[in-house]
Amino acid sequence: MKRDDTMSKHVRNLLLAVLTLLPAAVMAGPSGQALSFTCAGCHGTDGSSVGPSMPAIAGMDPEVFVDAMKDYRLDKRNPSIMNRIAKAYSDEQFKEMAWFFASQRLHLQPQVTDAALAKRGAELHQKHCEKCHEEGGRPGDAGTLAGQWMPYLQYTMQDFLSGKRDWPRKMKRKVDAAIEDDGADAVSALIHYYGSQH
Amino acid sequence: MTNIDRRAFIRGAAGIAALGVSAGFPALVLGAARRVVVVGGGVGGATAAKYLRKLDDTISVTLIERKPSYTSCFMSNEVLSGERTLQSLTFGYDGLRRHGIEVVQDTAVGIDPLQKIVQTAGGGKFQYDACVVSPGIGFKWEAIGGYTEEVAATTVPHAWNAGPQTELLRRQIEAMPEGGRVIISAPPNPFKCPPGPYERASQIAMYCKHHKPRAKIIILDPKDAFSKQGLYLEGWRKLYGYGTDNSMIEWISAAGGGKIEEIDPETLTVQAEIEEFQGDVVNIIPPQKAGAIAFAADLVEGDWCPVDKRTFESTRHKGIYVLGDASSAAKMPKSAYAANSQAKVCAAAIVNRFRGLEPGDPTFVNTCYSVVGEDFGISVAAVYGLNSHTNTIEPIPNSGGVSPANASAEIRKREVSYAHSWFKNVISDMLE
Amino acid sequence: MPRRIMSNRAARLWVVLLTLCFNPALQAALEQPTGGLMIDNFDPETGKRIIPNERCLDCHGDEKQKTDVRDDGTPVKIFVHKDEIEASVHGKQSCNNCHVTIDRVPHRKAPEVIVGCIDCHRDTWVQYKDDPSGKHKRLKVVNEQIDSYMQSIHAQPNSLDQSRTNATCYDCHEAHNVGELGSIQRAEKRLKNPEVCGRCHEEQLKAYRTSDHGKAIFEKGDSESAVCSDCHTTHEIDSPETDKAKLAITKNCGDCHEEEQRTYFDSYHGQVHRLGYTNTAKCYDCHGSHEIKGEDDPTSEIHANNRLENCRVCHEDANDNFLTFWPHGDADDKEKYPGLWFFKVFMQALIFGVMAFFWVHVMLWLYREVMDRIQGKGFIEDMDKPDIVYFRRFPVAWRWIHGLFAISTMALILTGTTLIFSHTGWAKAVVVFLGGPLMEGYIHRTAAMIWLGIFAVHLAIAVSNIWRKRGEFEWFGSTSMLPNMKDMRDLRDMFKWFLGKGPRPEFSHWTYWQKFDYWAPFWGAAVIGSSGLMLFMPEKTALILPGWMFNIATLVHAEEALLAAIFLNSVHFFNVHFRPERFPMSTTIFTGAIPFEEFRHDHSLEYERLVASGEINNYLVRRPSRRADLAASFITSVLIMAGLALLTLVLIGLITSPS
Repeated sequence: MKRDDTMSKHVRNLLLAVLTLLPAAVMAGPSGQALSFTCAGCHGTDGSSVGPSMPAIAGMDPEVFVDAMKDYRLDKRNPSIMNRIAKAYSDEQFKEMAWFFASQRLHLQPQVTDAALAKRGAELHQKHCEKCHEEGGRPGDAGTLAGQWMPYLQYTMQDFLSGKRDWPRKMKRKVDAAIEDDGADAVSALIHYYGSQH
Repeated sequence: MTNIDRRAFIRGAAGIAALGVSAGFPALVLGAARRVVVVGGGVGGATAAKYLRKLDDTISVTLIERKPSYTSCFMSNEVLSGERTLQSLTFGYDGLRRHGIEVVQDTAVGIDPLQKIVQTAGGGKFQYDACVVSPGIGFKWEAIGGYTEEVAATTVPHAWNAGPQTELLRRQIEAMPEGGRVIISAPPNPFKCPPGPYERASQIAMYCKHHKPRAKIIILDPKDAFSKQGLYLEGWRKLYGYGTDNSMIEWISAAGGGKIEEIDPETLTVQAEIEEFQGDVVNIIPPQKAGAIAFAADLVEGDWCPVDKRTFESTRHKGIYVLGDASSAAKMPKSAYAANSQAKVCAAAIVNRFRGLEPGDPTFVNTCYSVVGEDFGISVAAVYGLNSHTNTIEPIPNSGGVSPANASAEIRKREVSYAHSWFKNVISDMLE
Repeated sequence: MPRRIMSNRAARLWVVLLTLCFNPALQAALEQPTGGLMIDNFDPETGKRIIPNERCLDCHGDEKQKTDVRDDGTPVKIFVHKDEIEASVHGKQSCNNCHVTIDRVPHRKAPEVIVGCIDCHRDTWVQYKDDPSGKHKRLKVVNEQIDSYMQSIHAQPNSLDQSRTNATCYDCHEAHNVGELGSIQRAEKRLKNPEVCGRCHEEQLKAYRTSDHGKAIFEKGDSESAVCSDCHTTHEIDSPETDKAKLAITKNCGDCHEEEQRTYFDSYHGQVHRLGYTNTAKCYDCHGSHEIKGEDDPTSEIHANNRLENCRVCHEDANDNFLTFWPHGDADDKEKYPGLWFFKVFMQALIFGVMAFFWVHVMLWLYREVMDRIQGKGFIEDMDKPDIVYFRRFPVAWRWIHGLFAISTMALILTGTTLIFSHTGWAKAVVVFLGGPLMEGYIHRTAAMIWLGIFAVHLAIAVSNIWRKRGEFEWFGSTSMLPNMKDMRDLRDMFKWFLGKGPRPEFSHWTYWQKFDYWAPFWGAAVIGSSGLMLFMPEKTALILPGWMFNIATLVHAEEALLAAIFLNSVHFFNVHFRPERFPMSTTIFTGAIPFEEFRHDHSLEYERLVASGEINNYLVRRPSRRADLAASFITSVLIMAGLALLTLVLIGLITSPS
């Protein structure tokens, strides 16, 4: 068994190596760019969304992208439409799209925020969130928070808090602590803080 | 744990590099700058124009559109419920001009595929290396007795291209007495925006629920099934009493005699197969075919324009590409998102052709939201690939589909907000 | 969050956003403020995420939060000292170059701490081996250490948990704080070494703390004092039960205690040890190991009250006289060991005197015979008419005695000099070939018994011969071995002849050099025999002699043996075999007969005397048979070869001798 596995791995690696050498045109399947272009109708040109419920995915961390797509494919996130779309793609295609969006510059739209809330959010962020969502939640391995569309963030937090989406490791502890610190408005304050950044 | 492997990275990086190279590709190498003439400034045409420039800004792109601005058909049903104004659906072409596209307000009247010239009503002649034709739909006026372009403009609007007729229909509904009856005649397949007639009924019902709660909306349908049917019925049951005696919406299928034969615009009486229906407001959505220029340029077989699905190049004339509703792009629906998606495939194919490269494998997506009522949105989505053996665009198996049945109120509500965000992004992707 | 609040806020937001998005003044999109693209955070070669160390230190460098909570709720230390890392040799490395399992930050699952020190150091060395900048030069040492580690007991699977090794790199190395050569970190690390080892080796640390070494480290912070790794090595660590470890530890003691090691190697204990065997006393057998202390400390193993215990571990019957043995006796230290010094000076003067005299004798003789031959003089055998008549010079008994004497002497030289020259490769090889020091000891003593036995037999025969002829025995007659005045004159005349100032002297039955050869073993037997017997039976010897006699016995036994070895295999060989008149050899000692003409030439006085007395006919024999001649030539050749080989080995040993 094990031997077969490693054998087929060898064969696969060999094939991959050969494929890498071939020009892109010979490769079967649409290019990462072609795949990613189809997302623009919902997520904006090159992933810079202008619609507040659709998250910006330009400049997104590619591994976070792939994780998200895989979770959607497995119906692991409170699904609306992405789960249906994600089922159409292979892991390899996820990766190619991930690289495409990681190569794009994120254009943020200004959002209207409550300055007082945002200020409190900034403090809460520094205290509870900054270590994972570094630099105020700039795009990174913990996703894109800074400048992200607030309705989208709202939905996401709703899903976490209602148990519709699994918490990332350690995040529940931190959010609980933030809520304990600042009451029920803590999440809202944080979202306003993120929305206030561009 | 995800590992972005090297191959994916290289492909990604190569894509970026290709863009970078193309941006600075000297015209000398390619000879004179390549010219693309795009006929039609709808989703297909505008998107194609923008993405051509995005993929290769050495290409000179001219967009010929008869109207000074674009009014989106999608979301225009919300005008009927009063949720939005027609103005909110209208956008100029300055965004495209900022991409370096020459936008010409004129009407294309002919295309010479040999000399590669597009001729306009205003007397313009536009030389092209590739021509993209995205004219949208035309109507088969002859299909319904008594229904003419003039009738549509004055008393029985089709309102199937957003514009004055949309506002006319809105005014008629507002003017309708309480307890009045709205008749909507849905078209046979294939037609633009398959869920549209049913969303229209929903949006009118949404208005009536608050302002004319005893009003009736009857959909006369020459089909026995329609897009997102289960979800519509779920929404109608929940919001408009569908299935009860007091249902605000009634759907009469082909089997029930829903196909109409003629209309009397004077009495607003519609003759259907089995019985006559008289309404206070009548909205006839006629059977459809490709837009006029497609016929003038000899791109049509039957009602629609056959194309090579890999490139959207017309199978009748080389160098001319037909996109969107006018093309025969089964199994994709005739929708805004589909046109947007096709336009990008087509733009990439044209750029590749100019560079002497084979077109890549195409990939398409369609997403479509419908707002059935307050806080009740539904959607359909599909990802498509090309079956090159049959030259058909086929959905990727085990993916796509409509919103789940009996979803939570939260999900339905979110889909309304997604619908509006979707709208902004589609508009932005084609025009900004 | 309460839904009500949120939906209110969301509703307000909607209104504002709708206006905003269609307001061209505000609609201008904002650029992502950071300069680079997300893709820049990934390595273009491998596609792997580049995780800057600062990112790691966000959490792991936070002084305020040095611990975190594991998924199971238990606390875990996560703090890493930023300045330490940056000052360490790995300061420029990415954290996840070593922490290879870390590919996501924040970590998606509890990270396994797997650090592949070995692979990385090996691969990097392979990659930069030929780098001319020399930046990675130190990696060569690191890789040698790795190789050593891989052979060490620490790299063996742990007996309780086979999935782990006994110890791995970072059990000892604080990877975040590895200093460059000469850095403060390294000095600090040295002082910390006992505690690092003591994490596992608790008992040993406890003992070490009480030792002089330990006190210097812990109380004085003296980084010059010995720490664990100085004796046990850093990477070649083995169980102290193995020979390899025992040898290494002794060698390492000597790294600091050079004098003590040198004098130890002069002792029998040290000589055997230096040959690579551990059956004799080593440093720690007497001094103790972890609890090592000075001799004045009553708890010290080498305190006068405790020392005999240690001797008795091997020498079960050791008595108090053992205490007067000088384990580090130094013959060069006139102040501390005047007796030993005297014997050394005497023996060396003897060797030098004898050898100097005879080598001059040899050189001049050679010169003279060569000169004579050039002038056509001297004794030249007529090859066309070989002698058919021989003179019988040695009876059978003497021939046997000489043969056995030669063989046993050579065996003694070979086995004995391996100890004197235990520093040489040949000595080690010979001991291995012979089957180890114990077997070598048996061979040496057996040969010594044979030698002494022959000596005794000869004495008995000689005495009985004299006794039988006691009436007529001429003590200074022509066949007597006793030196006489003529020998002195012959010696004088030989030198005259050498220098061309006189004729070659006429000799009687025994020449003066033959008499020297005969009497030398008497001296040798006395000196080597008695000292050898003392060393053979130390416990018995100590019953009557003080312990320092072993030091003297060891010294004179060796020096006298050297004298014999060099003299026999050079001077004796020249006189008998190699001088041109005899070259290449004389087989007389084995055939017992000497060619008549040669006898006439070399012993002309005796010839004339025998002719005059008519006794000559009693001594004339036929030429030895061809077979006897060949056999004698063969035996002589072998012995000469063996002797020359021994001489060569001895000279090699002398020349390469470290002291």
